[in-house]
Amino acid sequence: MEAFDALMAGFGVALKPINLLWGFIGVTLGTFIGVLPGVGPALTVAMLLPLTAKLDPTGALIMFAGIYYGAMFGGSTTTILLNTPGESASIATALEGNRMAKNGRAGPALATAAIGSFVAGSIATALLTLLAPVVVDLALKFGPAEYFSLMVFAFITVSAVLGASTVRGLTSLFLGLFFGLIGIDSQTGQPRFAFGVAELLDGVDVVVLAVGLFAVGEALYVAAYQSRLTETIETVKGSVMMSLEDWKRSWPAWLRATAIGFPFGTIPAGGAEIPTFLSYAAEKKLSRHPEEFGHGAIEGVAGPEAANNASATGVLVPLLTLGIPTSATAAILLGAFQNYGLQPGPQLFQAQSELVWGLIASLYVGNVILLILNLPLIGIWVKVLSIPKDILYAGILVFATLGAYSLHQSWVDLLTLYVFGLLGFAMRRWDIPVGPAVIGLILGPLAETQFRRALAISQGDPTVFFTQPISATFLAITAALVVVPWVVRKWRSRDSSV
Amino acid sequence: MRRFKPAEAALSLGVLALGLGVAGVTATLPSEGGYSGIGPNFIPGVVGAGIVVLGLWLSYEAFAGGWRNAPPDDARARGEHEFNAAAFGWITAGLFAHMALIGWAGFVIAGIALFACIARAFGSLRVARDLGFGLVLSLGVFVFFVKLLNVNLPAGWLAPILGTAGI
Repeated sequence: MEAFDALMAGFGVALKPINLLWGFIGVTLGTFIGVLPGVGPALTVAMLLPLTAKLDPTGALIMFAGIYYGAMFGGSTTTILLNTPGESASIATALEGNRMAKNGRAGPALATAAIGSFVAGSIATALLTLLAPVVVDLALKFGPAEYFSLMVFAFITVSAVLGASTVRGLTSLFLGLFFGLIGIDSQTGQPRFAFGVAELLDGVDVVVLAVGLFAVGEALYVAAYQSRLTETIETVKGSVMMSLEDWKRSWPAWLRATAIGFPFGTIPAGGAEIPTFLSYAAEKKLSRHPEEFGHGAIEGVAGPEAANNASATGVLVPLLTLGIPTSATAAILLGAFQNYGLQPGPQLFQAQSELVWGLIASLYVGNVILLILNLPLIGIWVKVLSIPKDILYAGILVFATLGAYSLHQSWVDLLTLYVFGLLGFAMRRWDIPVGPAVIGLILGPLAETQFRRALAISQGDPTVFFTQPISATFLAITAALVVVPWVVRKWRSRDSSV
Repeated sequence: MRRFKPAEAALSLGVLALGLGVAGVTATLPSEGGYSGIGPNFIPGVVGAGIVVLGLWLSYEAFAGGWRNAPPDDARARGEHEFNAAAFGWITAGLFAHMALIGWAGFVIAGIALFACIARAFGSLRVARDLGFGLVLSLGVFVFFVKLLNVNLPAGWLAPILGTAGI
């Protein structure tokens, strides 16, 4: 019941007019950028991060969280109306949603995506409310050795276990870890890899890295390879109302998708891609109309879109309770906390209870606002889609350079931004994931601190990571995640060659 | 038939070179560590060694038939058009013009130049429209951030009109 009281106090914070306003701005902006192709929540939060110096922490964090899950709602509109392969988490929706739009059923497709996102988001927030205090109690027992091992686990799962290539995932992670080393060592004051450049002594700011990779890199890539393609936007004909049949087919998909998406979000499994595909596969298998899949089956939109939102909310469990970000956006949200000198984790739940629970309460409120924004007002968002690409990217880069420049008022940050842009271009072209680099930059310095603290406590004895039971368990799971799939693959290839 | 991929090989060797560079700089860092027994050079050493290993691994794949599961080199197979060097160049030019202008000519003028170059990169030939949109957006952003949020941005040449940054 303690959690219930805390949540009620949180609603007291979230429902204050000023915080409601920040939440409203956040979800509106989130929906807007979710609709815009080429702009994601990671980029938007990164561009707005310098504003933390001007805003109060509760309001700013409520706004950032609103951008984060608002973008999940907005993204489905783009996927349904514009058949872009787009981001990987929405490929499943694109399969059925765009088909429905082509068949003149864009309205019900948008409706099942929005209502499904609302249902999944609300249930997942309730699960977050219940689960967070449990994880916090557990995490209070963690010392530096446990945190370090947990971070190693997160590093490996986000970079090496999933994705097209282990070596490219790890390369991205290690680039991020290297960028994290640049600047003054927090323990000894020793400058590292700064070469006497004042802007580098402060360290590589997550704003410059994220904006460089996501805005400049994306602009370079799209201009070079996609700017001369033509796209067709489907129109929303008729009503957005779903028929009784649509409802009957949608609601079980929403619930199943929530059950699939939320757990995937809470473990560091590298984003929403896997749960959306699992949900799509499950709906295809369970449907009484399997022949409709590939031709616009409503379950194929309802499931993946709900899974998407449930997993996005699940990501907040390790972020808030342990301080472990498991996606690029979560890493940037962690950066926002750090700008206020706050470190998410069990201590934050005790020291800043109002802020954390206010943030969680704002998720419930935000979901309701989003449902209203995305159903009756869908016409406005459809118009956003028709912003021409030249104007869109020019505008994005004006904001991107603003974010980087306002850090030190220095052109050096703009040069660094361009260098990261080139890196982002190469990473996009040769399919090197960018998430691990952002996570490495944010989490790397924290992991180093915990590592050195653990060794200081053990008087330099490195076995501490293996003799503490919780720490040893994390490391054992990490090792199993790397070794088992490799052994299985070897085994299979040997079987098939015999 | 195993083919050699020059771009992938170059990137792989770049990663390897970065790893060697990190390792080289790490060797110059002090190693005293107090109670923990490890100094500020320990983790950089681990990261440097890791990047070297990854560089070698990537190089092996690049020279032995190309990176595994990499996107096809043929743009049409990716559903895209051939590399457009002019578009890439206009974005680069815009960012460097902005870099050069911002501290000197000010945020608004740098923003107009950037906006026009980026729009050009995406195929726009309507220069007057792009300059106009750039002016409206940059000016709007300047007024909002400087006057409302009190963020410090350079007014530059337009200082006589816009006033100095801040309140």
